[in-house]
Amino acid sequence: MRITKLLAPSLVVPALFLAACTDDGGGDNGEPALPDDEMVEGADEDAPGNEDGDDAGSSGGTLAEVRDRGVLNCGINGAVPGFGFVTPEGEYEGFDVEFCRVVAAAVLGDADAVDYTELTAETRFAALQAREIDVLIRNTTWTSSRDGSESGSFTTTTFYDGQGMMVRADDGFESLDDMDGTAICTLSGTTTELNLESAFSARGLDYEPLTFEDNDTLREAFLAERCDGWTSDKSQLAAFRAEWPEEEGGSEALTVLDETMSKEPLGPVTLDGDDEWHDAVHWAVIATIQAWEFGIDSSNVEDFLDADPEEDPEIARFLGIDDFDPGLGLDPDFAVNILEQVGNYQEIYERTVGPDTALGLEPGLNNLWTEGGLLYPPPYR
Amino acid sequence: MSEERQVTTTRTRPPPWRDERVLRIAAQVIFLAAVAALLWALGNNLVRNMQAQGMRTDFGFLEQNAGFTLTGSEFSSRDSIGDALLVGLQNTITVSIWGILLATVIGVIVGIARLSTNWLVRKCAAAYVEALRNVPLIVFLMFLYLAVLQQLPRISDAIDFGGFVFSNRGLYTPWIEVAEDSGLFLAICAAAAVLAVVVGVVRTRRFDATGEPHHRVLWGGGIFLLIAGVAWALLGRPVSGTLPTLDGRNVSGGYELSVEYGALLLGLVLYMATFIAEIVRGSILAVPKGQSEASNALGLSGFQRYRYIVLPQALRIAVPPTGNEFINLAKNSALGLAIAFPELLRVTRLSISQGQPAPQLIGIMMLMYLAISLLLSLLMNMINRRLGLKGAQ
Repeated sequence: MRITKLLAPSLVVPALFLAACTDDGGGDNGEPALPDDEMVEGADEDAPGNEDGDDAGSSGGTLAEVRDRGVLNCGINGAVPGFGFVTPEGEYEGFDVEFCRVVAAAVLGDADAVDYTELTAETRFAALQAREIDVLIRNTTWTSSRDGSESGSFTTTTFYDGQGMMVRADDGFESLDDMDGTAICTLSGTTTELNLESAFSARGLDYEPLTFEDNDTLREAFLAERCDGWTSDKSQLAAFRAEWPEEEGGSEALTVLDETMSKEPLGPVTLDGDDEWHDAVHWAVIATIQAWEFGIDSSNVEDFLDADPEEDPEIARFLGIDDFDPGLGLDPDFAVNILEQVGNYQEIYERTVGPDTALGLEPGLNNLWTEGGLLYPPPYR
Repeated sequence: MSEERQVTTTRTRPPPWRDERVLRIAAQVIFLAAVAALLWALGNNLVRNMQAQGMRTDFGFLEQNAGFTLTGSEFSSRDSIGDALLVGLQNTITVSIWGILLATVIGVIVGIARLSTNWLVRKCAAAYVEALRNVPLIVFLMFLYLAVLQQLPRISDAIDFGGFVFSNRGLYTPWIEVAEDSGLFLAICAAAAVLAVVVGVVRTRRFDATGEPHHRVLWGGGIFLLIAGVAWALLGRPVSGTLPTLDGRNVSGGYELSVEYGALLLGLVLYMATFIAEIVRGSILAVPKGQSEASNALGLSGFQRYRYIVLPQALRIAVPPTGNEFINLAKNSALGLAIAFPELLRVTRLSISQGQPAPQLIGIMMLMYLAISLLLSLLMNMINRRLGLKGAQ
């Protein structure tokens, strides 16, 4: 009797936990629940791509669900200036936020129809798996295990980043090789810990890793010189460097070392198993790059719409002037919505993180393939 | 003949569906079966969902290389995830044990001070208790870490104070260094310790029998130091002291108490001590006033009154609620997560973020915390039973 009394609470607690997990998971992956089915059928009428889309089995119907809801649930970072943060006025802004707007403009025709959810590095995939968000655009690196065991499905990369190391300029570290026996601050829940370990053990260097839960505590610790180096994606480091307090010497007091410890292709993620939705998000992102390649932006899109379709049939197809429908489940003129309401890739980049912003990031790899970058949109036909 | 017997049995025992004892057992069996079925269904559902999402459902990942390192331990990235969890568990247990010991000492002192006849002492103790226990622990920890300990001198201008080095990376103290192959010396020390205890017990018995002063600490300590000292000299000084030396940014030698560990320990101790102080105060007040008056009448001093009359009785009242606070302290150590201390929760989350399966890891972590709490609870129950009045159980 005594033993059962002792054990009873220990059984109930995990059971509740399991129940919570399965509640979330249950609707996702078993046979589709009834309401889902209805939504898919209802959406068939106004989603032209659906009839030649996937089999009913593989489609969870996120596209139809989002259209039905009228709002896109987008998971973002709320604490990285330039990528995803809250302005003093309470607005979400940044590179990733702009791509949430791109997807909303493509799918719903309204770039403002977005509900943002701020996620930590650790909760982001759980939120995606639990379908709290439709798409995750939170400087997330495309890796094999995230594609595999985390059930993520990555679209084309929006930002080619690399992990770097930021140090105080007056400490005299010129490269990673100078950093033997130092303390390094990193953020928990990211791939940076693994890269840091590989980079330092490959050079035979000793270091003390300090893993923080949030960027604010990390920043305070770095300010107090608790650690000698701060490692993260170079774009993020640039963002924190730009905001470094004046009384600590401003951005001149910090240096980002030249070495790149890893490849960090950042891009939007959807949940595995919904190809239709994945294609929609994928091509919404590609459209911003394609528009840049065509030279179409928010200011001149009207001119292109008025132009003679015969002049450049490729652009006419892209803008949906001749009602070309590739069967993506998007309206033929989705690219026009994106361009009118948000803009092309170049505009987004220069508005949020480009050389003229506080971050001052040179395009580097984030340039068109014709300009020596890695942005190479597949043909739209 | 047989008919008659049947009649008598039905009279003494009703049929099973009306037998209260049978019904009671049946109800419990049915309830247990229902709970088991529910658990099985939930577990099954979880496994099915995880398999549908392509997540692994076994525990083989515990053998995989961790790929990350943990500060303040020998743990390297080639060790397994299972080892990482053990390091986390070890850190949690270390901070909990030290936390419990120190919080008890401070709690008892502050609890007594709250009842002091000295106005200043009483008010100071009250201010400390009220200020701390009304603040969320995580806020206090962040304050300690960021606003107090991080404001210590930076490593480049660390203070070297007679063998103690202070900086906002940690406190470095002199420490003893045990050379390799000193097993023999350690064995001799252990034997000497046993001998010292035996001598102490013998002296106590002699004191009980004859009334001759026992001097047991002097005898025991003397014997231990003598044997250990001779062994140390004969075996070529296997144990030596090391002093921390500051060399630019690196401190070598000595013992390092990292600032994260210090902040967590200090925070837990100062915070939980306030709750223990309140328990101590309440327990002392619960000892009947006549006991104090009687000891005053016997002419005992204030210290004697507390040591021999009040505290032993108060202890009996204080033990059960204090046990709860000990368990709270052990569980609160998980807040070390917020200040980069690699305790159990930190390591678990680190593993999850490296792509290891969350349900299994969180399950293991919960079992570990459960084990710590149950063990503490068991220990406190044993103490409670020993302290209880004989015959009162």
